[in-house]
Amino acid sequence: MRMRTVEISVGAFVLAGIIALIFLAVQVSGINFDDTGKTYSVTARFDDIAGLRTRAKVSMAGVTIGRVSSIDVDMAWGEALVTLDILGEPGNLTTDTSAQILTEGILGARYVSLVPGGDEETLGDGDEITDTQGALVLENLIGEFVTNLGK
Amino acid sequence: MTSDSDNLIEIENLTFLRGERKIFDDISLTIPRGKITAIMGPSGTGKTTLLRIIGGQIRPESGNVKVDGQDICSMNRQELFSFRRNLGMLFQSSALFTDLSVYENVAFPMRVHTNLSEELIRDLVMMKLNAVGLRGARDLMPSELSGGMARRVALARAIALDPDLLMYDEPFTGQDPIAMGVLVSLIRELNNALGTTSLLVSHDIHETVSIADRIYVIADGKVIGAGSPEALQAEPTAMVRQFMHGEPDGPVPFHYPADDIAYDVLGEPG
Amino acid sequence: MLGVVRALGIRALDWLSTLGRATILWFNAMAGLPRWKDISLVIKQIYNVGFLSLVIIVLSAFSIGAVLALQFHTQLARFGAQEAVGVGLALVLLRELGPVVTALLFAGRAGSALTAEIGLMKTTEQLSSMEMMGVDPLRRIVAPRIWAGLLSVPLLTAIFNMVAIYGGVVVAIDWLGADPGGFWSGMQDGVELWEDLGKGMVKSVVFAALVTWVAVFQGYDCPPTAEGMSMATTRTVVISSVLILATDFLLTLVMYGDF
Repeated sequence: MRMRTVEISVGAFVLAGIIALIFLAVQVSGINFDDTGKTYSVTARFDDIAGLRTRAKVSMAGVTIGRVSSIDVDMAWGEALVTLDILGEPGNLTTDTSAQILTEGILGARYVSLVPGGDEETLGDGDEITDTQGALVLENLIGEFVTNLGK
Repeated sequence: MTSDSDNLIEIENLTFLRGERKIFDDISLTIPRGKITAIMGPSGTGKTTLLRIIGGQIRPESGNVKVDGQDICSMNRQELFSFRRNLGMLFQSSALFTDLSVYENVAFPMRVHTNLSEELIRDLVMMKLNAVGLRGARDLMPSELSGGMARRVALARAIALDPDLLMYDEPFTGQDPIAMGVLVSLIRELNNALGTTSLLVSHDIHETVSIADRIYVIADGKVIGAGSPEALQAEPTAMVRQFMHGEPDGPVPFHYPADDIAYDVLGEPG
Repeated sequence: MLGVVRALGIRALDWLSTLGRATILWFNAMAGLPRWKDISLVIKQIYNVGFLSLVIIVLSAFSIGAVLALQFHTQLARFGAQEAVGVGLALVLLRELGPVVTALLFAGRAGSALTAEIGLMKTTEQLSSMEMMGVDPLRRIVAPRIWAGLLSVPLLTAIFNMVAIYGGVVVAIDWLGADPGGFWSGMQDGVELWEDLGKGMVKSVVFAALVTWVAVFQGYDCPPTAEGMSMATTRTVVISSVLILATDFLLTLVMYGDF
């Protein structure tokens, strides 16, 4: 009957392992079973993305509504071409939505912030956000400040 | 077993090297069916190696080893494992599974190779243990057994599936006289009762002579004598004589090959 | 000079043949899934390598989590960024420390025991006698141990991570008074299911395969002497530790490297 203790112990061990995995998935990584659903993508051009990474957050009014899915460079225009995956069906962003690259905190990660406009028409899958503002680059700001000071 | 030849095992022109040393140098021998055959020879002549070659655990450099008409050397892994089900081997160290009780040790081959019910396995294990006189020791663990008892349990395990060929590796070594007597009579009885072919490797002359039907004497990688025990004991060949009568020096030298002792002792260059 | 080259060549060939034997052992043992009949063998081994490793895993996890939280807290407090303790702790554990430390502890606790056990079975001719009975010791002895390792190590890693995070919670929230809301939400915001938890688990499966492979091979291949066995046991711990750390670097490079 020693085998029975072994079996019970192994059962408890496996159960503990599975509970730990569920805990890590739910409590630590905070998966949300709703947002596994559909996304659609829109693109945006920025003059400078300064450290924006793929998988960075896309937020509106501070709420995460998507992720950056890819970053390419358009050599001809010297611009960054950023693709954003937005949660939900097309139709929740107006065509005059503006995109801006911001920083979380003073040293935090870069993210894309969207501000809705007032247009009636909405962006479809693959459309482009035209009203964009790139990241504020600290060196450029300081440079400007110094030149202004010299005047 | 299908082949109707009188010999269960036929070994032809077997050569086996260990490093540079020739353990077997082109030897041929046959093991008759249903008899007890003994392979004898001084220690270190590769008698155990021969058993391992027959069991397919090691492959010779050249030569044929046929057991019941099947060539062992050309078998693949799968074929070897199914071939070995008809084989029982008693190891010098007994090699019982230390984490299993005596009962489970004997039941092991049955559990792995058959789908017999638990009651049937129990009956069979009891019969096998009874045959070696250790039915009462079924609940002991191997660590609680004496050397002689362990060897008898190992014997019960070796005959668990009524093999066609039983191989004994030095069954008498390190046993007290009583245990030795028990083993001698067990091997004889089992051979008669089960009709198996027995192959015995030993250098204990008296015990071996008392049970073997046929003896091969191997030395220096060659078969130097073969025949019935009586014939061999009357054998004139000097080497066989030396071995069979246990003389310390003779054609098998007392000294391991070395330079003249004068060089080693007096330090003169050779 | 020629002697050195010769010696090096011989060493290289020895090393290659060892690797070859280890690979053959792996393939012969792992050919096919374990049969249903053998499932109890695997359960027995999960008990030996997994369940019996729980104590050391839980104890180490708790103290590592607590120490990490303390370090993160004191450093991050200088920037007023105490909420980042949660996310920092979780990322470090899920991505690196969880899989690596669990595998190292597993190598020391279970790997060495596997080597010693199989080595002793070989020394006492148990493996040989099994072979002569027509039972393949690779399938009967080695394979269940590898399967048990492959299953146990990821579970141990998950338990390690959970306990370590709990240790961090005890220190950061209960003791140093960090805000639990910020702690958990920061963690949930920064930790990704696949990117962090999933890839960490992939690592732990790879480490499990490495450690059990090294352990069973060292046992199976060791010279049947007392000295040979003690060397094999030591080698299991040393080789698998080095392999874990080197492989971890490679895996991190492949999985998280940003090229």
